[in-house]
Amino acid sequence: MNIETIRNDFPVLKKDVIYLDSSCVSLKPKQVVEAMNKYYYEFPACAGRSIHGFGSKVSGEITAARKNLANFFSTKPNEIIFTRNATEGINLVANSLGLKSGDKVLTSDKEHNSNLLPWQNLTKEGILHQVVLSNQDNTFNLAEFEKQIEGTRLVSIVHTSNLDGVSFPVEKIIKIAHRNGALVLLDCAQSAPHKELNMRKLDADFMVCSGHKMLGPSGIGALYGKAKLLDQLQPFLLGGSTVRDATYTSAEFEGAPAKFEAGLQNYAGIIGFSEAVTYLRNIGMKKIQHHEQELNKQLTDELLNLEAISLIGPAGPSQRAGIFSFNIKDKDPHEVALMLDQSAKIMVRSGAHCVHSWFNARNLKGSVRASLYLYNTEEECTTFIDAVKAIATL
Amino acid sequence: MICILALVVFGTLSIFSARHRPLAKEAFDCVFRKLTLRKCESGLDLRLKSQLTGKLLRRHPRFAKIIYKNFELLSLAFTLLFLISFVYMGIGGYNYYLYGDCNGPNESGFCIFDPLGSNEKTSSLETGEACPSNSPSPKYLTLANVNLDIFPTYDRGAENDVIFIGCYACPYTREAYPQIQKLLLRDDVNFVFAHFPIKGKNDHLSDILNAIYLIDKQKFITLNDALFELDPLLLKDEDVIMQLVEEIGMDSELVQASIITNNVSAITAAQAIELQKTGLYGTPTVFVNGNAVVGPKPYRVYTRLLK
Ligand SMILES: Cc1ncc(COP(=O)(O)O)c(C=O)c1O
Repeated sequence: MNIETIRNDFPVLKKDVIYLDSSCVSLKPKQVVEAMNKYYYEFPACAGRSIHGFGSKVSGEITAARKNLANFFSTKPNEIIFTRNATEGINLVANSLGLKSGDKVLTSDKEHNSNLLPWQNLTKEGILHQVVLSNQDNTFNLAEFEKQIEGTRLVSIVHTSNLDGVSFPVEKIIKIAHRNGALVLLDCAQSAPHKELNMRKLDADFMVCSGHKMLGPSGIGALYGKAKLLDQLQPFLLGGSTVRDATYTSAEFEGAPAKFEAGLQNYAGIIGFSEAVTYLRNIGMKKIQHHEQELNKQLTDELLNLEAISLIGPAGPSQRAGIFSFNIKDKDPHEVALMLDQSAKIMVRSGAHCVHSWFNARNLKGSVRASLYLYNTEEECTTFIDAVKAIATL
Repeated sequence: MICILALVVFGTLSIFSARHRPLAKEAFDCVFRKLTLRKCESGLDLRLKSQLTGKLLRRHPRFAKIIYKNFELLSLAFTLLFLISFVYMGIGGYNYYLYGDCNGPNESGFCIFDPLGSNEKTSSLETGEACPSNSPSPKYLTLANVNLDIFPTYDRGAENDVIFIGCYACPYTREAYPQIQKLLLRDDVNFVFAHFPIKGKNDHLSDILNAIYLIDKQKFITLNDALFELDPLLLKDEDVIMQLVEEIGMDSELVQASIITNNVSAITAAQAIELQKTGLYGTPTVFVNGNAVVGPKPYRVYTRLLK
């Protein structure tokens, strides 16, 4: 993996900034932007509707993109639904699964608001929402999960947490859930960009991710669902492209994925998303994962021994993927983030990272989160370490 | 504290640029919350503190530490300084409006609204050049014991008296003259003009003025208008002056004859002695109802002294 070559693909890095906020939104390589521009410049039409030259070209590109994504996640094209983002995917499942009063949904205590609020909202209709508390070190408590799984209809759980980078043992979780007759929805917003995901092997029932966190454009994401489950799901948004035919009083719906993709789609986004996964695949997910862990080890080795630093999550860097989430004693996380930005042009995220529930339960204001990706370097990490040390001595 | 400072700074900036308006609004919100003993929600104070220390951290880590540790205290000090200077600025603005000088009536010193001090400038009696800034103060000027009867006077029997002491060739007198002309258009002002020829020593113009006044009590104002209009370099040219006297409808020969027959130079000399009694140190000096105003001032400064 040649970082210099990779960095050359990201024109924004020429701005002499250190971008450590890829968990929020990743940077985009020029290949992605160019692929999107190609749509706008060369065939800016609609897919699946018009049969003229441009129309056929877009249709072909969208079909190819779906196939590409299906390959990336080791699944079939008709099991990939394009959404706006992970949040929309979760909401689609929440609203289409046909959950009934008394059905139980399990989540962890580290869910992003996007995988918390849809379930909280359903409690108004009698759905039971339960939270599985993590271990002291923020790792998943399988024993607790096993205790709570009985009678569960759906386990909707984060794969890699955006809070601390900890990945849950989803293989085991899925097995236990299935053994108990529960379906599993994986929130892979933070894992899909950083590790290989094989839906066949994992046997997850649903999975969501966002293009913008994995080198793709914003406004595009994907929902994976097992074909037989998608067939049973009711469409959530209705409209153009979801039906084969309609009268004034009835409609004949398409099968999946079309019945879930209402209205004109974000074609440029889909094409860009596909280009992004091609880019990731070409580099290799294993190499990316390894690179991030090496960098995280550097951060951990240098910063964890500082008395003023408190880490969120387990001490071992290999357990926290590319995320280093921390606080400096007596310093507000936003204050630290601003000082990093001003002193060394380092961009990190600060606050509750949309996991307010976790921070509120601990009476914490938030944390500073440095999140790494394939384009980050050892030198950048050294600069970050020095800057954090300087702030810690203030 | 920093929010108050931010409010004033951004508030002022936002008058001129839309970019600062959201910041000013934030600062206002922050100050309002703090005044009602609540926490500043926008985190503006935190942002300003972190941005400042962050910037310093790169080059001067020690200094950054001092700022970080004493930020509240420093911002309190700055805010107080700022508020004090703001009050002074207000007073300055008020003085400028009333007296044409931020420092108040009859004071000298730097004025932000008149940075070049053009409202203060006078021509020095000794050198004819602009007076040095350490000139004596107008507060020592007086009309007590000064015989004004021997000067060209336009007495309307009005309730206000304006005595204008200036010299035809002096740049600041010339600058002030349009305001004097405006005053003369009012019908509530009596007017006395005293020519004090400093620059270029145009004594002969005093004689002509006095001679014309002896012949026609009204004409000296017309003469003034013409002489202040004339290129100052031509004031010494007798032919030009005589031509100008003709142009204002006077017989130049009669005027010249009158200078001799009426011994006008004695009047001129007597006037000079009277003017010394005023304590005069530069032109223009204007007395409005006995209050001395030195230097070319905005019109409002003179009218404010009228009854
Ligand atoms: C773990 C996790 N889940 C869900 C989301 C929501 O993603 P999006 O905002 O793209 O829908 C995020 C975004 O940060 C996330 O980190």
